[in-house]
Amino acid sequence: MGGPGWLTDIFAALMLTVAVYCASRLVVARRWRRPTELDTDGAHVVMGVAMAGMLVTGLRSLPTGMWEGVFGVGACWFGWRMVQARRGAARSPWRCLHPVPHLVECAAMLLMLGVLPASLAVRSAAARMSGMTVPATESRFSFLALVLALFMFGYVAWVGDRLTLRAPAPALASQRSLVGAPAPAPVSGPAVSGPAVSGPAVSGPEPGEQADATTGSCGGAGAALRYLAPRCSALCKITMGVTMGYMLILML
Amino acid sequence: MSESLAVGGALARRDTAEPRAAEPRAAEPRAGDLGNLAVLDTRRKLQLALAVIWLLDGILQYQPVMFTKAFPQMLTAASAGNPAVVASGVNWSANLVDHHLVLLNAIFATTQLALGLGISWRPTVKLALGASVPWALAVWWLGEGLGGVLTGTASPINGAPGAVILYALLAVLLWPPDRNPPAQNPPAQNPPAPFVADRNPAAPFVADRNPAASFVAARAVGRPVARASWLVLWGSLAFFALLPASRAPHAISGMISDMASGEPGWLAWIDHHAASALAGHGLPASIALAVALALVAAGIYLPSRLTRPVIVLAILLATLIWLAEGLGGILTGAGTDPASGPLLALLALAFWPAASTPPPPATPATPATPASGA
Repeated sequence: MGGPGWLTDIFAALMLTVAVYCASRLVVARRWRRPTELDTDGAHVVMGVAMAGMLVTGLRSLPTGMWEGVFGVGACWFGWRMVQARRGAARSPWRCLHPVPHLVECAAMLLMLGVLPASLAVRSAAARMSGMTVPATESRFSFLALVLALFMFGYVAWVGDRLTLRAPAPALASQRSLVGAPAPAPVSGPAVSGPAVSGPAVSGPEPGEQADATTGSCGGAGAALRYLAPRCSALCKITMGVTMGYMLILML
Repeated sequence: MSESLAVGGALARRDTAEPRAAEPRAAEPRAGDLGNLAVLDTRRKLQLALAVIWLLDGILQYQPVMFTKAFPQMLTAASAGNPAVVASGVNWSANLVDHHLVLLNAIFATTQLALGLGISWRPTVKLALGASVPWALAVWWLGEGLGGVLTGTASPINGAPGAVILYALLAVLLWPPDRNPPAQNPPAQNPPAPFVADRNPAAPFVADRNPAASFVAARAVGRPVARASWLVLWGSLAFFALLPASRAPHAISGMISDMASGEPGWLAWIDHHAASALAGHGLPASIALAVALALVAAGIYLPSRLTRPVIVLAILLATLIWLAEGLGGILTGAGTDPASGPLLALLALAFWPAASTPPPPATPATPATPASGA
């Protein structure tokens, strides 16, 4: 990694923490039937492990090609989700409602997996030898990395803006309140293989069945489904966004 | 800090429209709306943009080169040409950083990151904005040597009066309101988002010092002070553009070509061509730049309908300055901030005149047609 060892170790530890926590969210959501963004949490698991491996060589778990395949599937998933959202498809609290940031994050992961290792190797060698940086002309993707990093910081700011100290609201207040009203708008994080990590992981409602989810699965009409620790989820997204921004900046 | 949030209802549709004393300020934010950035109040949007720049600053400070001797050397260079009282502070900080390089740089980076996160999180926005002012002032002196304004070499092209002072100015101009008047509208009925900060009944209404201000920057400090700050900033830029260091035949072209070093090919191409076009024409270029900057400085006192072109010109100049600055060198891997261009543009947006609100339509005498008639 290009930065000081202790710094990359900290970021890698944060990524592993996020991955472990999001994996536990998937389990707990199934057990407690509390809505969570399955695709987002699944993506955080995979992305956290992948980024930790990119930050610290000893934590690499899969070959780069496999990771690229995973995030390629993730990009396709969120691209499909974005198309669905634009078509006005029914929303579900079990899926991310804002797929664009996750699509961009998957693209950023693909970029980093493809470009970062070589870029960082050159940069680290130059920094060790001369204390100076590598001219950015050697990185063909520096401007793209900057744009993606700015997007990530914007996403972090957006998530932070929506984070509150107060108790989170119910995901779905009641069946009646959902009729004709916009669906809840949780902030989502990156995602990976949507079909693999979503739907089947939880015995809750499928996308487009939010009314049933409210009344059928969780206590009948009028019962409230509460999101599973949404503020912790937001903190995971902030952590992921900052770390990804850091890795992208290292590509400059 | 939801007090700076005015979302939903009419204000969401006319985002730049200023609140008026005679009309309800804004409907209470609706949870479902908060997923859309477009419904945020203009000031909050600008605050978030400032937060993004602080986040970028923090992460740039984490770059590997900042943990090397290059960083204190960069600080030392800022003392050149400054009066002794300024230079001594710069040299002191450079020596201190040199002796505790890793620790202090990590603190600097983390502080800037925390400022960005603090501004983006509503409960800490005042704390973060307030902390950013002394931080920016300290960095302006100890890190940038007051932006070179006392060296005689300051120029808008080389970043004068220093990017970091603009952070402090923006923090003041984008300061949130002091208190929250009681709610005037009933809460909306949309289903809530999972963790949005909109259900504080005391929060959603904006209590500005000057609620009738015609632009965002005037809400916190009042119109005269905001305009005066604009005049001083852009007027000083015009002054710097006329200094001998800028009007020498090859001054501006030399500054631009120096910025091209280490930049990506496309940016170096722009800078090289701009430098070659301006080579030998330092005086007319500096005069033209000064005239444009002076026009921007004075234009804030024009009527609103004439102010908009001035703001557009300011944003255009900020963009040109940013390109001439080589985007602050951030694409070289050695930049510590995005330079003054984006901050000047952000500042200009804070002075964008609010759209005049059309009078409410007269109530029709005839009964309303049923909505289901279509």
